[in-house]
Amino acid sequence: MYEKILVALDGSEGAQKALAAAVELARTYGAELHSLAVEGKLPAYAASIGEVDEAKAEKDAFFERIDREAVAYAAEHSVELHPVKMVGDPADRVLQYAEEGGFDLLVLAARGHSLAHRFHLTGTADKILDHSPCSTLLVR
Amino acid sequence: MTELWIAVGIALVALLASIISVEFGVSIAIVEIVLGVAAANFFGLHTAPWVDFIAAFGSIVLTFLAGAEVDVDLLRTEFKGSLLVGGVSFLAPFVAALLFAYYVAGWSWRASEICGIALSTTSLAVVYAVLVETGLNRRRIGKLLMSATFITDLGTVLALSLLFAKPTPWIIVFIVVSALLIWTLPKISPWFFGRYGDRVIEPEIKLVFFLLFLLMALGKLSASHAVLPAFLLGLAASRLYATHDLERQRLRVVAFAFLTPVFFIRSGMNVSLAALGANLGLLAALFGVKLVAKMGSVLPLARGFVGKDSIFFTLLMSTGLTFGTISSLYGYQAGIIDKAQFSLLVTVVVASAVIPTLIAQRWFKPKTDEEGDD
Repeated sequence: MYEKILVALDGSEGAQKALAAAVELARTYGAELHSLAVEGKLPAYAASIGEVDEAKAEKDAFFERIDREAVAYAAEHSVELHPVKMVGDPADRVLQYAEEGGFDLLVLAARGHSLAHRFHLTGTADKILDHSPCSTLLVR
Repeated sequence: MTELWIAVGIALVALLASIISVEFGVSIAIVEIVLGVAAANFFGLHTAPWVDFIAAFGSIVLTFLAGAEVDVDLLRTEFKGSLLVGGVSFLAPFVAALLFAYYVAGWSWRASEICGIALSTTSLAVVYAVLVETGLNRRRIGKLLMSATFITDLGTVLALSLLFAKPTPWIIVFIVVSALLIWTLPKISPWFFGRYGDRVIEPEIKLVFFLLFLLMALGKLSASHAVLPAFLLGLAASRLYATHDLERQRLRVVAFAFLTPVFFIRSGMNVSLAALGANLGLLAALFGVKLVAKMGSVLPLARGFVGKDSIFFTLLMSTGLTFGTISSLYGYQAGIIDKAQFSLLVTVVVASAVIPTLIAQRWFKPKTDEEGDD
């Protein structure tokens, strides 16, 4: 039913659930599994280059760890995961990558890890659902 | 309010600002300024001499860091273009804002000079964040933007140091000692960092602090400002820091954890909402003067250098934050501008960090999937 699955990761508890669901689906259908972690925006209107550099380095380290853990988790369940990292607006990047990669299922968490997400001040999941080029599974 | 309660208030504002900054992805500096405004206008938080002192030192450390973050090799490769664009980007808004403040707003000449300096700036950090996020830092437009911004910054610190200097004998001492330090630091620091660096007691940070305090003291004696030598000292140390990332990171930690929050919160605390409310027309006019002067002067040049991306380029050259705030705070603490003028300038500076960036990213962002042109 599904041949190529993309799961969006952001290090949140919800994304961990999304990964578990995606791994299970990939194993069940023998699908190729990819993950995309988007290093959200850098601090807007920074006062020093240091602030930007440090934020970028922190994000790099954070998302590298997420990728490593996700690959290890998938391997434990006999699934090979192909992780990719991008920079920019999470919703835009996920939509762009899902479309360009020809995925037939996109799996993502209903809630990300930031307060902005929790209070629904940003509608990453909503935007992805509205514009997704393929079937989309929203994991709660 | 006792001094300890002032410390409690500032520490709480700094903590809240860092949480908001992380959660909402907005620069800590802007959040600190905004919360400083709220703390002073709604909760009665006021300053103390020690707060002013730490804020002044925080501004000098920020200036040193700005110099240390300059990519000297990049500046060399784009020198001609950046000198032209960056020079015009400083001069045109400086003259326009100075004349507007003096002839239209009726400010004193010295207050108008502060206005010109504060509104002439371009924020290297605001520009840098946009470039890194979009990957444009690897293309020629990004390299030219970064190096031109450095030239504009240099114009700002030159103006701030030279326009308000008084001809006292101490000015000679200030210049000679500054030149000696700037010349000596790159020569002794590799040895010093090698022998004393990478220790928890941080002798290399103490060396930098000693030099910056010395510059501040001599600047005060000579009725000038340490911002220019501090910037050049940072520039002289930039190659060293490029190869000593750990030391640079530790200096940033000390600066961002304590010194720069006090500077930005203190700046926000000076802003009077009542004064802003009474001068909304002037506020909009000053913002317009900065934007129009930058657009009118940089855009024609940018067309020649970056073609169809010239509006994006010019909008980013119109941003300002750190040096605009430093100039305004200097003017206020030196008694050159009053609280209402300070409030107007800092608000225009913060607005210029946000509005041109938003417009540039929303409507004029160059396509990032194009081949690099470097």
